[in-house]
Amino acid sequence: MNGDSKWGVLGQYDWSIMAPELTILVFATLLSIIDLLLPKKTDRRIIGVLGLIGVIISLIFTLSNTGTQPASILADMYRLDSFAVAFKAIFLTGVAFAFLMSLGTLDKKDVHYQGEFYYLLLTALLGAMFMASSADLITLFIGLELLSLSSFILVGIRKKHIQSNESAFKYVVIGSISAAVTLYGMSFIYGLTGTTNLYLIAERLGNVYQGGFSYIVYLAFFLMFVGLSFKISAVPNQTWAPDVYQGAPTPVTAFLSVVSKAAGFAIILRIFIIMLSNVIDIDPTTGEMKSLLVDNLGLYIGIVAAASMIIGNTMALRQVNMKRMMAYSGIAQAGYLLVPFATFTVLLFEQTLFYLIAYLFANMGIFAIMALVSKDQGHDEIRGFAGLFQRAPLLAISMTIFLLSLAGIPVTAGFFGKFYIFLSSVARQNYWLAGIMMATSVVSYVYYFGVMKQMFMRTNPNGVNKIKVPPCIGIALVVAVVVTLFAGIFPSQVIDYLHNNFLFENMMQVAEQVVMK
Amino acid sequence: MIPASSYLLVALILFCVGLYGALTKRHAIIVLLSIELMFNAVNINLVAFAKYGLFANMTGQIFSLFSITVAAAEAAVGLAILISLYRNRSTVHVDEMDLMKR
Amino acid sequence: MAALYANNYLIVAIFLFLGILLPVGALTFGRLLRPHNPTTVKRETYESGLEPFGSSWVQFNVKYYIFAIMFVIFDVETIFLYPWAVAYDQLGLFALVEMLIFIALLVIGLIYAWKKKVLEWN
Repeated sequence: MNGDSKWGVLGQYDWSIMAPELTILVFATLLSIIDLLLPKKTDRRIIGVLGLIGVIISLIFTLSNTGTQPASILADMYRLDSFAVAFKAIFLTGVAFAFLMSLGTLDKKDVHYQGEFYYLLLTALLGAMFMASSADLITLFIGLELLSLSSFILVGIRKKHIQSNESAFKYVVIGSISAAVTLYGMSFIYGLTGTTNLYLIAERLGNVYQGGFSYIVYLAFFLMFVGLSFKISAVPNQTWAPDVYQGAPTPVTAFLSVVSKAAGFAIILRIFIIMLSNVIDIDPTTGEMKSLLVDNLGLYIGIVAAASMIIGNTMALRQVNMKRMMAYSGIAQAGYLLVPFATFTVLLFEQTLFYLIAYLFANMGIFAIMALVSKDQGHDEIRGFAGLFQRAPLLAISMTIFLLSLAGIPVTAGFFGKFYIFLSSVARQNYWLAGIMMATSVVSYVYYFGVMKQMFMRTNPNGVNKIKVPPCIGIALVVAVVVTLFAGIFPSQVIDYLHNNFLFENMMQVAEQVVMK
Repeated sequence: MIPASSYLLVALILFCVGLYGALTKRHAIIVLLSIELMFNAVNINLVAFAKYGLFANMTGQIFSLFSITVAAAEAAVGLAILISLYRNRSTVHVDEMDLMKR
Repeated sequence: MAALYANNYLIVAIFLFLGILLPVGALTFGRLLRPHNPTTVKRETYESGLEPFGSSWVQFNVKYYIFAIMFVIFDVETIFLYPWAVAYDQLGLFALVEMLIFIALLVIGLIYAWKKKVLEWN
């Protein structure tokens, strides 16, 4: 290696596998400079368009890595495997939707700092991508914090808006507390294993657990799980969601409800599945061997999932504000998404990803329509949807499709998402969880149908003037409707595609060091 | 020489004090300070483990550098948001931030 | 081990004892030596030669906070320079380039603050 002496060890890594992240980083940096140099009068939407281009380039880079062997650089601090590619594709699509939504509805008077708005979305995305694409506690934590810090500012970006300030402050406080709790849990894991690399942790943690430190492993698990549940807004840490969703601008709410939550699932699955893969609990009396994660902790995760479903769905019933309702609905969806993790079947990743895809498009569609309606009505209440069918029939019909998908009614993606998850818990004979899932889904019909009732059966007191749909929102809605229906009508194609192109087992496989030259 | 458990105990106490303060105090600045306490507890833990952990090595100190930076960034963002909240509402009391209670 | 501990506490106790004794002794000694003659001027609070006015609980200008935030951010970022400088010989040219990128990003932050007129007092 002739480059060895001059460039040092770092020069030998194949940095090209990091292309999606580097693209986002370069775009975020350049856009922040461009925003400073552009004259004050210029329309800042140009920055949004450039940002969208960056997201699409990064998405192309990400998808070109589909089906590749796992690779890693910087001693697993950056890792590229199917798990990472799948989650990054979800984040990038979600952010692309958020960009389209902001380009269509963002008001100059409302959000004064438009340039910052767009590039902070990019930095938040960068954090999320690192959360999916790293196998080291330090980088995972930095990714988590980059996402959190950017979204704190995004929530509070309407500087003159009191509710926005207030929800941003609540978000900062709860977010920082849960970050500290997560980090405290990580510090114990580091103390027990002396490393932050997840694969080395997995190697050592099994023996450490046997060696009398089982309580510390449990403590660390619970601290980290409680801390990370903040990102997915699951039960111990769900209280922030309604307030923050309500105070944030609608595209940011959509971003939080989809990208931030998916990133939370990415980091939870990545950390716990690798970290606890070798930890085996031996029953002292019978000598029976059990996997700690699957057999012992699965129960706790199931309880968290059940509690999220129950609290989310029942609290959503009494909401009059659409964003608060979506927040509680999101808490319930986080509960559903935890079910495959709790039951842990072989199809865990396929089930989670299918549900995430269904959730992504349905939620993004709903928020896009909501952004239009609340801009038209001047408030976020559910009654603003009254008479939407007369005012904009296409919007009302696509809204219905998205709501049905979230509720889990057939011919939409959401039905099969829920169906697969339901099957997983029945297959593991986890009937109580399956039962709670069914019961809470029925409860959720009430509030989803409540919105439909407003759209089709009420007339709007403010008259029946048409709602104009900006082209970028139109594109977003068409894509969302098509995907929701496609995945609902041909679910096996989607599952097969995921199953054949993404070998999730290779998440466990330690990558060969990718060395250039 | 002082055993590792003393450091861990200090960290635990500091963490609990921080958590208590962050959840109960009225004044927003004190809430932010309490969160800093929690991060500092983690730093003590990490540095103690870097010296006395089961596999003692330098990584803990590096990790604590990152944790310090993150804590500073979080405090800065929190303070900035608090300033803009104060400009609009003239209060720094957490219990008065209840505009969204239904 | 236990003896070692007792020893440690002994040192702490001696320090504590000295820490209390010295100021108390000095003050008592001073009190015995000095003449006692209080006047109004002498009883005033001393604050860098100026007569203090107003309450000590004043509201600080919000600009101080912004400067403080700026300082904290840039101050903390420098801790990454230390490990890099220590390991500089092993890391090679690549790490130098990387650190330059890091500093360039910080400079962009500074330019941002400058353009947003945070660095000016008015």
